Amino acid sequence: MARVEKTVGTSQGKRLYDLPLNRDEGTGFLILLIALMSLLAVLAIAASFTLSAMTERWTSGLENRITIEIPAEGTDGRILGRDEVTALSDRALQILKSTPSVHTAHMLDESELTALVKPWLGSGLSFSGIPLPSLIAVTLSDAENTDMRALEEKIISAIPQARIDTHETWLNDLLRFTKSLRLVSAILLVVIGITTATAVAGAIRSRMAVHAEEISLLHLMGASDNYISRQFQHNAFVLALRGSATGTAAGILTLLLIGWISGQMGANLLPEFHLGIANMLAIAALPFLAAALAALTSRQTVHRALKDMP
Amino acid sequence: MIRFEHAGLRYGIGPEILSDISFTLDPGSFHFLTGPSGAGKTSLLSLMYLGRKPTRGLVSMFGQNINGMTRSQLAPLRQRIGVVFQDFRLLQHLSAFDNVALPLRIQGRPEKEVRNNVQELLEWVGLGDQLRALPSTMSGGQQQRVAIARAVITRPRLLLADEPTGNLDDEIGYRLLNLFDQLNRMGTTIVIATHNQRLMERFGHPRLVLDKGNLQVQPQVNWLRRKIEGIF
Repeated sequence: MARVEKTVGTSQGKRLYDLPLNRDEGTGFLILLIALMSLLAVLAIAASFTLSAMTERWTSGLENRITIEIPAEGTDGRILGRDEVTALSDRALQILKSTPSVHTAHMLDESELTALVKPWLGSGLSFSGIPLPSLIAVTLSDAENTDMRALEEKIISAIPQARIDTHETWLNDLLRFTKSLRLVSAILLVVIGITTATAVAGAIRSRMAVHAEEISLLHLMGASDNYISRQFQHNAFVLALRGSATGTAAGILTLLLIGWISGQMGANLLPEFHLGIANMLAIAALPFLAAALAALTSRQTVHRALKDMP
Repeated sequence: MIRFEHAGLRYGIGPEILSDISFTLDPGSFHFLTGPSGAGKTSLLSLMYLGRKPTRGLVSMFGQNINGMTRSQLAPLRQRIGVVFQDFRLLQHLSAFDNVALPLRIQGRPEKEVRNNVQELLEWVGLGDQLRALPSTMSGGQQQRVAIARAVITRPRLLLADEPTGNLDDEIGYRLLNLFDQLNRMGTTIVIATHNQRLMERFGHPRLVLDKGNLQVQPQVNWLRRKIEGIF
C-alpha cells in the first residue's frame, strides 16, 4: 500500500520536508534506540530521586539527636538485671535533664524496642528474661553549639559503660555512599545523552549521504544551510520525541511495577520507592529534552557536513 | 552580468575541461551556447550557475567575484539564477506542483503566492491537469516542462538552460523559447545550451561556440534573415 505523503495546510499546501526524510530506511531503528535510551534514563533519574529522598529521610531528624546506650553488662563483665539497667538509665536521664542544651530525653520502653528490632527479628517476640540494653533518645536544642565532649564526659563519669552515639560516623558513610550512587546515576545519564547524540549524528550523516543529490539541488536553487538543516532538525525532533515518549512511558510503567512489587514485599529495609509530582514532571520532560538534544545534534551535524559541499 | 577572465576548469587531477575562457555577457542579453558533444557546455553552465568554482582565472557574476565567496554568500546569488538541467533533476518524491514551488519556498514567498503562481505557470506549460503527478509517472517531455517551469517561476535575473527543448516537439519547443524571449524582454539574461540549429537560426541570438574547451563568441545573425524566417 502506497504511503500517504504528509503535507501541511491544504492539499497543495507547504510540504513538511523538501527531502524525503519521512520515508527513509532506518527511521524505526533510530526511534527504537532513542526509546531504549529514554527507558534507561527514566530508571537512572528515578534512582537518583529515590536516593535523594532516602538521604533526606535519613538526615532529617537525626541532626539534633543522639542516642545513649546503657549496656546490660557492667564494667566488670557481669550481666546486669533489668532493674539495674533501669537505675543506671534513670541516673543518665537526670544528668541529661540538668544539661541546658538537652531539649528532651526519653528512655525507650519495651514496645519501642520491639518496633526497633522488628525489621531484623520480626514481630511477636518477648524480651522477658533476656538482658536488654537501655536506649535513651536525646533531642538537643542546638546540636551545633552543644559541647558534645563535655556531655559525653559527664555521662561516662557517672555511668562508665554508657555509649553515646551521635550517628555522625555511620550517617557520613551512608551519605558518602548515596552520593556515589547519585554520581553514578548522573554519569549514566551523561552516557545515555552522548549515546543518543552519537546515534542521531550517525543517522543524519547517513541520510545526508543518501540525499546528497537532492541537497545539492536545493543549494543550487539558493537554499541556505539553515534552510536545509531545518528540515533535518525538524525530522530529528519529531523522531526523538516519538521514541523518547515511548521509552519514557515504558520507564514510568516499569517504575510503577517496581513500586508495586516493593509494596507487595512489605520489606521495611528497602527504601521507600515513591516519586513526587515534581519528580514525575521532571521525568515527563525527558522526551522534550531528548527531542531538543536530537534537534541540536542534527543541526550541528548537518552544518558540519555541508561545509564539505561546494 | 557575467564576466569570465581566463577561466579554466578541471575535475580533480584530470585534464582541463575548460581552458582560458574569457567573455562578458551584458544584462538582458540572450545567447545560445553551442558546440559538439563533450566540448564542455555543461561544465561552463555549471560555472555560471555557481555549481562549481573555476580552478583558475576569474568568474564574476552580478558584478561580484565568486572565487573567494563563502557558501552563505553564494546562496543569495544562486536565488537570482534559474537553471534547466539536461537531466531535469526533478525531486522524484515531489509532485509537479511541489517541484515547481520549491524555488519560491526556498525564497520564503507566502504560500498563497506560491499556489497561484505555480498553478498558473503549470497550466501555461500545458500541465494544468498534472499538478499532483509525480515525475516518475510523467513522460520525458512533461518532466522537461516541469523543469523549465521550476527554472522560470521566480523570474530569475539569469536563466541557464541545458538542452531545454531536447525532449519536446518543435511546437512546444518554440513556445517555450517564446517564453524565454518574453522573460528576456522583461530583463532576464538568458543562456541556452543547445545543438538545435533550426532553433538557433529561428531565434537568431548570438552564439557562444565552445569547442575543445575554448570559447568563441559569434554575433547575432542578420535581423532580415530572422524576419524572413518569421514570415515563412
